[in-house]
Amino acid sequence: MTVRKKRLVVVGNGMATCRLLDELLARDVLARYEIAVFGEEKGGAYNRVLLSRVLGGDDPDAITTKPPGWYAARGLTLFDGVTVRRIDTAAKVVETADGLRHRYDVAVLATGSQPQVPPLAGMTDAEGALRRGVFVYRTMVDCLEMRAHARPGDNAVVLGGGLLGLEAAKVLSDGGLHVTVIHAGKTLMNVQLDELGGEMLERQIESCGIFVRSGRTIEEVLTDGDAGAGAGSGAGARGGGIVGVRLDDGKTLAADLLVLACGVRPRLDVARASGLPINRGIIVNDTLATEVPGVYAIGECAEHGGRTYGIVAPAWEQATVLADVLTGANPQARYRGSKIYTRLKVAGFDVASMGRIEPELESDEVIQVVETRKGSYRKLVVRGRALVGATLVGNTAATSALVQILDRGDPLPEDPLEVLCPGAAGASARESQAERIVCQCHKVSTAHLRQAIMSGATSVEALSAVTRAGTGCGSCRTELTQLVVRHAPEAPRAAAVS
Amino acid sequence: MSVTATATAQHLEREPPLEVKPDPDFPVNRGQMCIKGFTAGDLIDHPARLTTPLLRGRDGRLVPATWDAALDLVAERLIRIREAHGPAALAGFGSGGLTNEKAYLLGKFVRVALGSPNVDYNGRYCMSSAAAGQNRAFGIDRGLPFPVSDIGRTKVLVLWGANSAETMPPLMQWVHEQRAAGKLIVVDPRRTETARVAHHHLQLTPGSDLALANGLLHLAIDQRLVDLEYIARRTEGFEAVRRAVMEVHPAHVERLTGVSIDDQLRTVRQLATAPSGMLLSGRGPEQQSKGTDTVLAFTNLMLALGKVGLPASGYGCLTGQGNGQGGREHGQKADQLPGYRLIESPEDREAVARVWGIEAGALPGKGKSAYELLDALGPEGGIRALLVFGSNVAVASPDARNVRRKLARLELLVVADTFENETAADADAVFPITAWAEEEGTMTNLEGRVILRQRVRAAPPGVRSDVDVIRGLAERLGHGERFAFSSSESIFDELRRATAGARADYSGISYARIRREQGVFWPCPAPDHPGTPRLFEERFSFPDGKARMHVVRDRPAAELPDAEYPLYFTTGRYKEHYNSGAQTRRVAALAEARPEPRVQMHPWLAEALGAVSGGEALVESRRGAVTFTVEVTPDIRPDTLFAPFHWGGKSAANILTNPALDPQSRMPEFKVCAVRARIVRRAGDRAPGSAEAAGRIA
Repeated sequence: MTVRKKRLVVVGNGMATCRLLDELLARDVLARYEIAVFGEEKGGAYNRVLLSRVLGGDDPDAITTKPPGWYAARGLTLFDGVTVRRIDTAAKVVETADGLRHRYDVAVLATGSQPQVPPLAGMTDAEGALRRGVFVYRTMVDCLEMRAHARPGDNAVVLGGGLLGLEAAKVLSDGGLHVTVIHAGKTLMNVQLDELGGEMLERQIESCGIFVRSGRTIEEVLTDGDAGAGAGSGAGARGGGIVGVRLDDGKTLAADLLVLACGVRPRLDVARASGLPINRGIIVNDTLATEVPGVYAIGECAEHGGRTYGIVAPAWEQATVLADVLTGANPQARYRGSKIYTRLKVAGFDVASMGRIEPELESDEVIQVVETRKGSYRKLVVRGRALVGATLVGNTAATSALVQILDRGDPLPEDPLEVLCPGAAGASARESQAERIVCQCHKVSTAHLRQAIMSGATSVEALSAVTRAGTGCGSCRTELTQLVVRHAPEAPRAAAVS
Repeated sequence: MSVTATATAQHLEREPPLEVKPDPDFPVNRGQMCIKGFTAGDLIDHPARLTTPLLRGRDGRLVPATWDAALDLVAERLIRIREAHGPAALAGFGSGGLTNEKAYLLGKFVRVALGSPNVDYNGRYCMSSAAAGQNRAFGIDRGLPFPVSDIGRTKVLVLWGANSAETMPPLMQWVHEQRAAGKLIVVDPRRTETARVAHHHLQLTPGSDLALANGLLHLAIDQRLVDLEYIARRTEGFEAVRRAVMEVHPAHVERLTGVSIDDQLRTVRQLATAPSGMLLSGRGPEQQSKGTDTVLAFTNLMLALGKVGLPASGYGCLTGQGNGQGGREHGQKADQLPGYRLIESPEDREAVARVWGIEAGALPGKGKSAYELLDALGPEGGIRALLVFGSNVAVASPDARNVRRKLARLELLVVADTFENETAADADAVFPITAWAEEEGTMTNLEGRVILRQRVRAAPPGVRSDVDVIRGLAERLGHGERFAFSSSESIFDELRRATAGARADYSGISYARIRREQGVFWPCPAPDHPGTPRLFEERFSFPDGKARMHVVRDRPAAELPDAEYPLYFTTGRYKEHYNSGAQTRRVAALAEARPEPRVQMHPWLAEALGAVSGGEALVESRRGAVTFTVEVTPDIRPDTLFAPFHWGGKSAANILTNPALDPQSRMPEFKVCAVRARIVRRAGDRAPGSAEAAGRIA
């Protein structure tokens, strides 16, 4: 019996789609579906998390995960550079901006996010386009244009001290620009860090050579005609471009480059035009389905349980569940929401944030370890024996243990500080040092060895001859050497001289 | 019996006890020996040795019988079952402890004398993932592509899921030599004796090895540490791999594996920038349902770093059983013929059939892999008769209770071994077999070095070789002339012809050469060929000479902890014991050192469960439950329990393990499953009745 294959259409070709395709292919999807993918950007798919590499000078191919040939080689159809306008959910047809109509049985919306662009005075030209020198930081094209514009010695202002803004600031600074981060919040990364954490981070960032002005906003973008204070004379050669910004404290900063990194919001134009239920994002249930039959949504455009996510891990979890459901590999698979884990690690600064950053209940316990000189800050939010959140700045050694405890819901040790000090854990439970077996082959303990050394076995050879330790596999010989060095009675000095 | 096939300089004396000493000049172990080696002599003269064939009597008890009576009965029943149900109803099960000659003969016997495709061996539980991975990456599978002495010379050594200090102690001298002048990194969920001596220990989550290996490659690319010139010249497939690992972000890897980004970075930097670097894997990453892909992630990494084939560098796998290497080369594997030939390749079938004097068409095809074979025992599965040589399948297999049930449903179970083991409990016939010191034969160690084990003692009266069992049965099945070998050497001579031109070519190796040259490395295609101590210096074993990189995506283990079974469970070994413990549990010195299996439990978990060292915990999986004595130790991760698998019966760790198989190698997932635990007795409690009341089942 041959059954007609269903048509699966994916709108959007970002990271959620990439993972969905991988997971679908791993479940033998092509036996059941023909797949078409619509991507607005030209070319294949790339890893948006790694965009800073392109900004830093890498070839776009360095972050391209799926070049167009990848789709063709697997029998998938990619429509790249094609914008989807709406889905006709009654006729089950996807309509593109250039008038193409594509029938589907199952449609998945993975339209992602778009940058929030604050309406700054002077930012746009008469046609409403961003002026030359003003950039958002979202797509490959954004990065390539910014890179082409920025030159060593230029002045750059980054508006927004969140994850993306700081990443862009670091790359530009590394490229030889003078960089200032303007951040409206009182402290940096205020979504992921409390104020103390944000202050610690600010110190780290400033020590990298980047200037930070927190609690400030931009009042106006200054362009050539405005002749703002401090504007370089060379700016005149680039008509229509920006020369600086004026802050809300009245100060003016010269700027050849303004990067808008003010966060993202779900991209909902297609969903809205298609009449899908929308709140902050496209509303989906635990199977990632919208209430419209045959239409699903995953990634940053989807709202599940009242939450939208602006990071990639939840999108991947959603993609895996949807692949299970659509292929029937595990029809009972359900998405139950994701725990938030944010990590920023570039040379010079190191941040981890997971779960809640502040206590919620009166009974929540907060544990903070601050090392002022090292610039390290570690904070746990604990509920009973459960970890509900952690933030780490500067010293992130405990991050991997903490995120696994949070993910698994394991109880914290009686003294939660043990988690922050890997290695110290359970030292009390360890067998006492004296009883510890050093030579496993012949079961020789530390105490026995020490006694032998004191009695004159002051070389490894002598020690082995007396105790048999080290004559089996030999894996304890290093330890024997250390014991000899530590416990051998010192030769009487006077005797040695005379 | 040691995995390094220690050349023991025994003294041929009539008088017991047999003393076993290491040979100070042999280049593999250089005068070191494992505690199991020191005590190996105890087994030879052990009072529990089987010394007469046993047949199951009417009353259900095993009673002594003569060799002829036992062979007659087994042959007669094999014939009867074959007539009623066809040859595929018969099966053989071998061992990585058998000599090359025996492994060769067993494969030939099952396929020629029984006419069945169903032969496999316990090495499937051991080396199969590394073998499948190396074959796909390099076009050949040899545990180490270099002599063990190269380990001592590498600047950065990564031992990945390999606890050599306890499982292969003589190897440690090379590791100690290495770490004195270089960096040693151990990757293991436990802080093992090996991890203790490492400069860095990456204590990863069980089952996350593939994610970590892919993550290291991601970082290598990100940090521009890959060797693009080497990649272009010596490999195929990098571009696709590069794109695939691009999504394996370090922060994601940190979350999955528990290995911090700093540790990931340091590891890959050290490995990449050192003039020589080596990654050796053990069973940890291999005994998983993604074991083959994990090995491919290792080969991807080492190829991308440009290390494979360079001096004192590359990837290797530490072989587990005495003849783990040779055992997998000579046709006791369901999919292979002697010389690493493939049973589904027409040329390979033709070549072997010619040597065996049969039509290639008469050779059966591919049979069932080890666990699948055992799972198919009984009327439903279709295998009604099983001959087991040197393997304690009832203890060593995953989901051990299922295997015990299936063994009990056989019409005929034959066990050939030196001791009566747990598998023999259901046997219809048991043959008493010579021990290692009582017969001659070759083994191939982890380096691909073929060595000769000498006969130093006469076997006790009544005891014979596996070869005698096979020959005796072949005669009775009408194939005597094809098995009429007068000596081990005469079998080896036929093996040489069968492997001529094959991947594992032994045709140039002779007993005389092995004696003279302290072993010969295969491939060795001619008597005047020097053998091949190092592979891959010039080329890999594909026609174009290039290695292959493969896209391997991480996937979850077959069973992960959940609300019902919230902990990871993983298994491994004690230094004192070997495999199912059928032999080592009988050695007083070893049994005293480790009289029972203990479950390792982290202090945090112990505190949460109210456990203390010396108490008892009931550990349950979806397949069964075992009561273990608890050992509270910070050496294990807080989310993981560990217990060794050397014991049978109610203490068998493999009652808990998951028989999910790797799709390529058919390796069972011994190293990861989900369990829960509760305390049934605190240390010092006087009433053991509480344990019974808590349902101490097994």
